[in-house]
Amino acid sequence: MHNDWQPKLGDKIVRRPRVKAHPLRRVLGIPALFSAGYGNVGSSIYYALGIIVLVAMGATPIVLAVAGILFIFTALTYAEGTAMYPEAGGSASFARHGFNDSVGFISGWALMLSYIVTIAISAFVIPPYLGYFWPPLKESAVIGTAVSMGIIFFVMIINVIGVRETSFINVTAAVFDLLVQLLIICLGFLVLFNFDFLVNNIKFYWPSWENLFLGVALAAIAYTGVETMSQMAEETKSPAKKVPRALVLMIITVLVLFGGVSTVGLSAMTPQELAGSWATDPVAGIAHAISMAITPQEMASTLSSGTEVVIVLTWIFTGLRNLLPVLVAVLAASILFVATNAGLMGISRLAFSLGRYQLIPPVLGRVHQRFKTPYIAIIIFSAVALAILVPGFFAPRAFLELGALYAFGSLLSFVLAHASIMSLRIKNPDLPRPFRLRWNIRFRQRELPVTAILGLVGTAAVWLVVIFTQPYSRWVGLGWMAVGLVIYVIFRWRRKAYSNKIAGAQTGSAESQR
Amino acid sequence: MRLERILVAASGKDADVEAVKLACDLAKKSKAEVYVLYVIEVKRSLPLDAVIDSEIEKAEKVLTSAEDIAADREYEVETDLIQAREVGPAIVDEAMERKVDLVLMGVTYKKRFGVFDLGRVIPYVLEEAPCRVILCREPMS
Repeated sequence: MHNDWQPKLGDKIVRRPRVKAHPLRRVLGIPALFSAGYGNVGSSIYYALGIIVLVAMGATPIVLAVAGILFIFTALTYAEGTAMYPEAGGSASFARHGFNDSVGFISGWALMLSYIVTIAISAFVIPPYLGYFWPPLKESAVIGTAVSMGIIFFVMIINVIGVRETSFINVTAAVFDLLVQLLIICLGFLVLFNFDFLVNNIKFYWPSWENLFLGVALAAIAYTGVETMSQMAEETKSPAKKVPRALVLMIITVLVLFGGVSTVGLSAMTPQELAGSWATDPVAGIAHAISMAITPQEMASTLSSGTEVVIVLTWIFTGLRNLLPVLVAVLAASILFVATNAGLMGISRLAFSLGRYQLIPPVLGRVHQRFKTPYIAIIIFSAVALAILVPGFFAPRAFLELGALYAFGSLLSFVLAHASIMSLRIKNPDLPRPFRLRWNIRFRQRELPVTAILGLVGTAAVWLVVIFTQPYSRWVGLGWMAVGLVIYVIFRWRRKAYSNKIAGAQTGSAESQR
Repeated sequence: MRLERILVAASGKDADVEAVKLACDLAKKSKAEVYVLYVIEVKRSLPLDAVIDSEIEKAEKVLTSAEDIAADREYEVETDLIQAREVGPAIVDEAMERKVDLVLMGVTYKKRFGVFDLGRVIPYVLEEAPCRVILCREPMS
């Protein structure tokens, strides 16, 4: 009916123009932000521990502690940056503001590599955990790698179609995972912890200096979820306050969990055992050791003398003994699947964000007409993740190589995040900083945060260790960066040529009008 | 029931027409303000502030149509377009922020697996909105 309506004479139609930049509805609070970040960081313990033990052996807890300190510095840097710029892009966004588009691109491209490896490595370790139910998934490299590739392909399809993922499942998986890891730590300390055995393991299996440094570099992969939280800042209510708080909460949680799980791990078995048959599913190994150490009747009798209480406690301990390995297998597979999916969503968002600022060809951010998803980015990056899993079919060290490649990408983006925050302190000292890092040193009338300086030096040093000691990561990582830079230079050159052409045409038409 | 602010959550379906008309009729008595809201749902694989031209074009059409319907009823409405991850929470948040007395939504008659289905947005708003909610279902035919 409204189509037939015509204004009468004297009618005045006032239409308020709708603003082109639509308001965004920010809904996330600290719990949602924490669970998203934890979903990423918490999942890394399921593979990071195995990779670190392979290299750092007995020094694993020490290496995790050193990397943990670097993680604290990095998380603090992200807190300042995200509070200033609550937008998708994380370190790429800080680098674009702190330096220029080119550094922003380098950081974003490195971050993309780290996302791709997150996808690959998370999918790669799902089959070993599910091997509890069907051993060939763990024992056969061919079956395991093929299943991992199938998982990535499946995740790619659901992301292209844009199947509605429920944040409820993500939050529930993160909460359950947190509880199970706490249960493992408590039970581990109760039934396995032996101080002398732990100290002997550390002393006897102390690694070489080279492996110790490489261990710190690899341990950095355990803490890379900090980027996820930063990426979600644009969806958070009052991001300037809530993101730093969620980051601090995650620092505390992750340090307690990683410290606890690694200590229990080395109390349960020697580093050689952990790095042997349990390298790809270390938490399953720890759960298995705890399960074997639980003696229900004996433990119940120690805790109580009443017959009824002993019966109930025996029943509880028997249940725990039988349930723990199953629980770890199911939960690890679920949270790693969530991490695979989160990695693909993260890289799609990042690609769109970089495309918007003309840092990569906008074709990568093209949205599907029907599904409303950035399908080209999803398909291309899934294909790259599938490609880097191919060595898994033949190379026994593929798992370690993936870990080192992960460290290459994430450490490079961390280095640039620290440098960008310091650059912003020099270039724009008066910019509002809702979360400003303390402990500053004065340099040419500018205040530079000590934690960012230490973080920059530390992350740059371990990144160099990866470059010099890991040929696979060196060549694949540098190759990835080189390909990216070539795409960037060609894209920017063509864009500039096009802009000049348009400007020339406009000048020409203006002159002819005169 | 005295109404000062009414929020119409438009979905782009035919049922919006009746909802906007009803909102204008209800608002006239107390000269209430009417807001027509359209939410663009952004998939998680895109940043929340992604500009999806096809969706914006569709939203503009829906809101312009709502303005036309209101003008036909000799009433003026305010329109708004927001981007969110989920439509239901966005409508409820908007209703709370604008302190509306009533949320009005058009319902399309549809069956899913042979059972009448309200979708996921309407049940969420019915459950979570702090104010009154009126549903205006279009005729079966």
